[in-house]
Amino acid sequence: MDLTIDAGEFLAVLGPSGCGKSTLLRMIARLSVTNGGRIVAEPEQFQTAFVFQDAHLLPWRTVLDNAALPLELLGIGREERYSKARAMLAQVGLAEAESRYPAQLSGGMRMRVSLARALVTEPRLLLMDEPFAALDEITRFHLEVQLRDLWQRRGMTVIFVTHSISEAAFLANRAVVMTRRKGGIKLDRRMDLPAQRTNDLRSDPRLGHEMKVLMEAMEEE
Amino acid sequence: MKKFLPPLIPLVVITLALEWMVRSAFVPGYLVPAPSAVIRALFDSRDELSAAMAKTSAAAVIGFALSTFTGVAIAVLLSSSRAIQRSFYPYAVFFQTVPIIAIAPLLVIWFGYGMKTVIASAFIVSIFPVIANTLTGLLSTDPALRDLFRLYGASAGVTLVKLRFPAALPQILTGLRVASGLAVIGAIVGEFIGGQGLGSVVDVARTQQRVDKVFAAVLLASLLGLALFGVINLISALTLRRWHASEQAS
Amino acid sequence: MNRRTFLGASAALLAACTRTAKIRLALNWKPDPQFGGFYAASYEGHGLGVEILPGGAGTPTVQMIGAGSAEFGIVSADELVVARSRGNDVVALFAVFQNCPQGIMAHASRHLESIGDVLKEGTLAIQRGLPYARILEKKYGFDHVKVVPSPGGDISAFLRDEKFAQQCFVMSEPLQAKHAGVDVKVFPVADIGYNPYTTVLATSGAQLKNDPDRAKTMVAAVRDGWQAYLNDPAPTNAKMHDLNPSMDAAAFAEVAGAQKPFIETAELGSMTADRWTTLIGQLAELGDIPRAMPAQDCFRNL
Repeated sequence: MDLTIDAGEFLAVLGPSGCGKSTLLRMIARLSVTNGGRIVAEPEQFQTAFVFQDAHLLPWRTVLDNAALPLELLGIGREERYSKARAMLAQVGLAEAESRYPAQLSGGMRMRVSLARALVTEPRLLLMDEPFAALDEITRFHLEVQLRDLWQRRGMTVIFVTHSISEAAFLANRAVVMTRRKGGIKLDRRMDLPAQRTNDLRSDPRLGHEMKVLMEAMEEE
Repeated sequence: MKKFLPPLIPLVVITLALEWMVRSAFVPGYLVPAPSAVIRALFDSRDELSAAMAKTSAAAVIGFALSTFTGVAIAVLLSSSRAIQRSFYPYAVFFQTVPIIAIAPLLVIWFGYGMKTVIASAFIVSIFPVIANTLTGLLSTDPALRDLFRLYGASAGVTLVKLRFPAALPQILTGLRVASGLAVIGAIVGEFIGGQGLGSVVDVARTQQRVDKVFAAVLLASLLGLALFGVINLISALTLRRWHASEQAS
Repeated sequence: MNRRTFLGASAALLAACTRTAKIRLALNWKPDPQFGGFYAASYEGHGLGVEILPGGAGTPTVQMIGAGSAEFGIVSADELVVARSRGNDVVALFAVFQNCPQGIMAHASRHLESIGDVLKEGTLAIQRGLPYARILEKKYGFDHVKVVPSPGGDISAFLRDEKFAQQCFVMSEPLQAKHAGVDVKVFPVADIGYNPYTTVLATSGAQLKNDPDRAKTMVAAVRDGWQAYLNDPAPTNAKMHDLNPSMDAAAFAEVAGAQKPFIETAELGSMTADRWTTLIGQLAELGDIPRAMPAQDCFRNL
């Protein structure tokens, strides 16, 4: 495949199971090695963050210590990283939970900590691999709105892999559908939807229309 | 108190039953001592038994501490590379399978008669569960978390200390639980050969056909094993309390 | 089949079973010349089916007899007396060693004069629970010697350390040491006046009462066996060597010869009340038994 992503885009990546969407994400994150292809970035190096399908928090650390982890690994001092982590936790609405342990949180809360952790380094690129797949629908709706809001305020690039057509349509301003095999791209579409996305959009026929286009691309083959 | 009641009841029942069986000559007292005879032996020989218990405890604790630190260190080394693991893990299994009775005389050659041999015996018998469980724990780290650490450029050392080791803690403690009892057994066996402590009391009493004293010494050895086990459980409760399912109340 | 026939057949079957029932003879060590006569005996020739159970370190033969897991067993006289004092009705029938072959061996190069000298320095490997160990402790004290557990027939520690002394069977370990190039001086335990019968065939009082003929036949078979072994140990040594390869054939022959003086007597295996009385007195004085007991209870000459 040949894919160019601009800074500041919210790109959704759709495709059937096994088409390689997770692999693509890992290659961009330089967690996996490319095989014959290249990942070219400009600038070369910048802060990347990754959000997994499960929150994957360190269970022996408090919420605050979990959120601050990336800064700790980058060598930032205690005071500074705690204040940044607190700010991020406040942004995702978990300010009062900072001294709790992951075992005491609900699935949705844990995902929000994971999100705060991803954003604490103010990354230029945010990679997300089906992060909300394991959550219930209402929580998903809220987190999707929150994510979109965070994206708009920070101006980072987001690549969001998902199975869900409705989620892709709601969140992204550009969606790409991958082929079943060979890692090709079947559809590359700029979403025809307003910039401000609230839960009201979910009952808007424009969303339904975008979803239909995506669904047709997914189904044909 | 409620927690101690369930295990106490069978103990009381069995003790009373045993006492009755010996007193009514249903079971000969020279084969199985009446519990009252064991208590009397505990009391009559209390000086000898407490000195012996001190020696066995010291050897078991030191042997156990050594096997804990060495075992964890070996497991860390084995977990660092697949090649190292494949080359050296089979030798670690040697500690599991070697019959301690067979090599105890060799221990005497190397360490002489006394405390060093007993500690060595406790060490050899108890180290394998530490290695095996620690290794499993270190190798079972969540791959997504490993990726996360890589993403932020964490070195192997940092990943070991901040991720792999804490994640392996429940498994390590499991290994320590098993090893604690084995350390006591290893010490007693070492004492049969090396000649001191509770093992020696058992050996001498056995020769004298003092089954009551044998059982008294064995009882003390069991209590020692129980105490070590309890210490590990306490450590487990304190460190895992907040985050691991095994220590969370229902 | 009616009830009468059934009972009759069962009784006959039971009788036949007890006659040809396996008699288990439990040894308290591996097969070696001290048991030669037991292996040489022709039990079938006397109408008995005997299974010899070899032992090793710590085989609890007195308890086995008491518990019924062996009909006959090899014990030492002192442990028999102690067992009786604990309520275990064991009775001696045949004493292989008329004189106790136990002793302490030390390196000849130490030029020690008496058994007390052994305890003046160095290491002594001895089973501390044995009565003679405690007699030695009472008489000479263990303050200047390091007492360690007996290595059970293994002389490697002895060979390595000149100041190392260990308990032995007078005709066994010293010969091994000599072959390994170390000259030894042996101090028989009998020298301190402690001389129990050793390698004694025993059975339970209950069995003696229920089937005295069987016990008598057993003793007769054993006596003949020992006579045969004393006359010509070679074939039996071969048999025992197969069962216990840890001792080589030459050693078997050598020990068989060296042990003869301890065994030979007018009527092989017979015992006297005086010897038992002396032993009982010594054990009572040591405190191993609460009070003396009649010597007659401990043995029978069948």
